[in-house]
Amino acid sequence: MTAPQRPDAVLSLGDVTLRYGAAAPVLAGVSLAIRRGEFVSLIGRSGSGKTTVLNLAAGFLGPSSGQVLIDGRSVRGPGPERAVIFQDDGLLPWLNVAANVALPLKLAGIGAEARRRVALDLLGSVGLADQGDKPIWQMSGGQRQRIGLARALAARPEFLLMDEPLGALDAMTRERMHGLILKLWRDSHAGALLITHSIEEALFLSTRVVVLTPSPGRITHEEKTLWGRRFLAGEDPRALRSEPEFIAARERLVDAIHAREAA
Amino acid sequence: MTDSAIDGPAMPLSPKPRPPRSIPVGPALALATMAAVLLVWSIASARGWVSPVFLPSPLRVAQAIHRAATEGYANALLWQHVAASLWRVLAALVATMAVGIPVGVLIATSRVGRGILDPLVEFVRPLPPLAYLPLIIIWCGIGEPSKILVIGIAMLAPIVISTAAGLRAAGESQIRAARAFGATRWQVVRYVLLPAALPSILTGIRIALGAGWTTLVAAELVAATRGLGYMIQFAAQFLVTDMVIAGILVISALATISEIGLRLIERRFVPWIGKN
Repeated sequence: MTAPQRPDAVLSLGDVTLRYGAAAPVLAGVSLAIRRGEFVSLIGRSGSGKTTVLNLAAGFLGPSSGQVLIDGRSVRGPGPERAVIFQDDGLLPWLNVAANVALPLKLAGIGAEARRRVALDLLGSVGLADQGDKPIWQMSGGQRQRIGLARALAARPEFLLMDEPLGALDAMTRERMHGLILKLWRDSHAGALLITHSIEEALFLSTRVVVLTPSPGRITHEEKTLWGRRFLAGEDPRALRSEPEFIAARERLVDAIHAREAA
Repeated sequence: MTDSAIDGPAMPLSPKPRPPRSIPVGPALALATMAAVLLVWSIASARGWVSPVFLPSPLRVAQAIHRAATEGYANALLWQHVAASLWRVLAALVATMAVGIPVGVLIATSRVGRGILDPLVEFVRPLPPLAYLPLIIIWCGIGEPSKILVIGIAMLAPIVISTAAGLRAAGESQIRAARAFGATRWQVVRYVLLPAALPSILTGIRIALGAGWTTLVAAELVAATRGLGYMIQFAAQFLVTDMVIAGILVISALATISEIGLRLIERRFVPWIGKN
């Protein structure tokens, strides 16, 4: 029971407001659509509601008003067509590496042999081909995040929702993970939503960067980008990052994030 | 920086490793303590500080163990007493786990379950076995089930509480990841919460076994004809102090063996404790 593969599915938030009780709303009138094959990054200061947007898209939360839709159908909870990756990888230490990757398939009732085949295949695609039988607690932080990526892709999701997945990694491991995330995103043809506090990471990975401004959380700026695609086409990542357009886009995003403080 | 600092002898990166000791400090100290107690005991009885009726010498206690093992005491050989007691404690443990783990799961995962079951567990928890023993006899008679029930009640709270606490200790991100992959409520319990609770449940079992051995003598007050608790009471009635101490030492040895066994199980089945 893996997700049905609809190549043109859309995950969308339509005029979503979220408030807890009588307090000021956390999000006000947020509209955002993620098509398959798109890579949307969400950046903003802390408290701007980035994680709330992801939790709504994942179905962990319901909106106070407005709609969360997949292909026009209302989202009522988490589902196998959307995979979520957290900063804390949430791997299960009592299972070995391959069994962790196969967890979504096990939950879907798929047989042991098929599970293992898929898991080893995915581990190969994240560069951990021969680590399947090792215990989780022997893996490094970067390896664990790769295992988390492989697990997220096991159920062949249409959407990949990532909440600061690289936040706990050192800078060098992060850069290697960027290439891996882009390749997995291209090969799975998923729609990706990434929350990050790194503007460069957002610019480098995304097809679109969205800036969220706090109190109440709302979208104030969007920036289309193409560096990720050019990296996948084989261009040197360091050269891409030092292009004037890259730096100009980064400055526009910095301005957008801090716009309210200046006002 | 001067040349000599560069060319000089390299600072050792780490202190020289100590040569491995043949016996680690902990067990060595434990053995020394036991030897000291044995020594004081031997001197006390050899010098006649205490009457042999109250404190027989270690040798006489050893002879009592030997006598019970070969000739038998209180209608049975020592191994038969041991087997009877072991069976009661283990049967009580299995029965209590069968009840206590599901109860712990309900308390940790359901507000209704917690509301209903928590007061009951908290009511049973502080009761001394000798207080509810008469009630158990009135309700269930003087057969084997009563003895197992008395021990089982003493074991219930540690198992329930450790299960509930262990389930609550599961990582938020582990639970959310499983839910994101479409896990049902039951699947979250089965594949995330219960495995995460395993270390805590094993600790609960260790505490429960301690409580079980503690309660054994009370349980075997009830018309028993076999068992270490029965053997101790039988000996006490005739002031056979060496046999009383022999019984105590055997119970203590059994409890130690089960504790070591559980630690080995822990090392084998939950090697990930503290490594995540």
